[in-house]
Amino acid sequence: MVQWWFVLEQLYSGKAKDVIILDDEKVKIVFRNSISAFDGVKIDELKGKGEANCKISRILFEVLHHYGVETHYLKQESSNELICKKVEIIPVESVCRNITAGSFCRRYGVEKGISFEKPIVELFYKNDELHDPLVTEEVAIRLGWINEKEKIIIKAVTLAVNYILREVFKKIGLTLVDFKLEFGRTTDGKLILADEISADTMRLWEMSSGEIKDKDRYRKDLGNVVDHYNDIALRLEQIKELPKIELKTKVRVTIDLKESVLDPAGDITIRSLLRLGYKQVSKVNIGKSVVISFTSAPGSKLWDVTETISNEILANPLIETYSIDFSFE
Amino acid sequence: MKIGVTKFPGTNNEQDVLRALSSFGVEGVLIYEKDADKLKDLNALIIAGGFSFGDYLRPGVIAAKTAIMQELPKFVEQGNFVIGICNGFQILCETGILPGVLTTNRSTKFVSRWVYVKINKSNSVLLRNSENKIWRIPIAHFDGNYYATNSQIIELKKKNQIALQYCDEKGVISEDSNPNGSVDNIAGITNKEGNVLGLMPHPERASFNYLGSEDGRTIFQNLIEELK
Repeated sequence: MVQWWFVLEQLYSGKAKDVIILDDEKVKIVFRNSISAFDGVKIDELKGKGEANCKISRILFEVLHHYGVETHYLKQESSNELICKKVEIIPVESVCRNITAGSFCRRYGVEKGISFEKPIVELFYKNDELHDPLVTEEVAIRLGWINEKEKIIIKAVTLAVNYILREVFKKIGLTLVDFKLEFGRTTDGKLILADEISADTMRLWEMSSGEIKDKDRYRKDLGNVVDHYNDIALRLEQIKELPKIELKTKVRVTIDLKESVLDPAGDITIRSLLRLGYKQVSKVNIGKSVVISFTSAPGSKLWDVTETISNEILANPLIETYSIDFSFE
Repeated sequence: MKIGVTKFPGTNNEQDVLRALSSFGVEGVLIYEKDADKLKDLNALIIAGGFSFGDYLRPGVIAAKTAIMQELPKFVEQGNFVIGICNGFQILCETGILPGVLTTNRSTKFVSRWVYVKINKSNSVLLRNSENKIWRIPIAHFDGNYYATNSQIIELKKKNQIALQYCDEKGVISEDSNPNGSVDNIAGITNKEGNVLGLMPHPERASFNYLGSEDGRTIFQNLIEELK
């Protein structure tokens, strides 16, 4: 028999989900029927909502796995439960926007429905008391919530997920307006996609009519919330063949000579600069930059691959240092 | 006795090495990138100079990642002789068999000329009977600037691994006689066991009097005698 305090210790209850720790590696995520908006000012129970979101999340995680995006999802346990890898959720979430809506319009005083040529990625600090404020990359890093590498992975993965899901939703007649992602660190410190990807965490509009299909139905009291959630799940379920998507992650490795190593090219260049009258120049270092395009999704795995390539071939650790940057277009 | 001489795409000194060997009556065997399985039949391997794989990323790094070079540590461990000349020295450093790395010449220019090197007391039979001799020998490289950390240099000195140093005609080792900026005027080093020698100067181009010097013959002679 399990004692009550033991259960309490193993259970983390969120606004719409419970997380139960199964062992050192796995957790069970229970999708509840609770729904809330405006920082908990509006709260309700909607029958069938948990199951609908659980199904949408399961399908979308499987879709992302198909394209090589690393997520915490392992398997579906029951109609409203997923088994996932145990991760430490980081306090920074990313939001990707294709079309203006919601808080973005309020924050910047712009109209709803403006399409961006290139998607925008924003970071938010997960803190209910502070109402999840927008946070700059610099602040998130300097306050120790994420590190430089995680920042790069979060941005690239968010853009890759957008690229994939936009195509998938297009196939079933839905426009992906925006969505939120959460990330977590696995026990061995790798950052992967976590939490849920559901009708609660994204905006979806009917392509033909512009009809709202997501949680905005609840926020705006449009009614039939669960019916629309179920419709999204059904349409996703009926996809027979996933679209052919060519992923292209550009990885830039910047290689610099260590300070202690002679840099003849830099020394020659500074002499020339001084001769040209740029008296304020004090040192010139010339390194190199290597750009590698991968056909795989960005993420922790690709980061490890890039590090191995850099250590083994691109840079000689005896005389050079290197840094990695991802970009996903 | 079977001595292999490597020929990677871009290697251009292999014929000179073969010619030097054949002057001792030994016919070397050309070894190509895909010949990893032929290593086991060899008693020694000479990694000839040139510009393997175009020298683009860092000289020697691509050759160092070929299947045959990945097998080389085992070959060396078994006590077989390996000599890396010029680009061959760069390759040996990139494989990690020899410590350090060869970077761009201090002058940022390709240096092709005769130099003098002093042969130090060495742990290698490849330099037998040569201690304190001054050799006249040519160099031809863009990346011959030997670099290693202080602790690596101390380690090299301790085990008599600094085999050759650039010097002047009289054997004086100074900045003036340093053609490329190498730490301590290092022109060549050996591994701890003495069966691997890497050097920037070209002994095969100083193996006949008609070339202007035959000081470099000693290395091939010692190798062949050792294998007899």
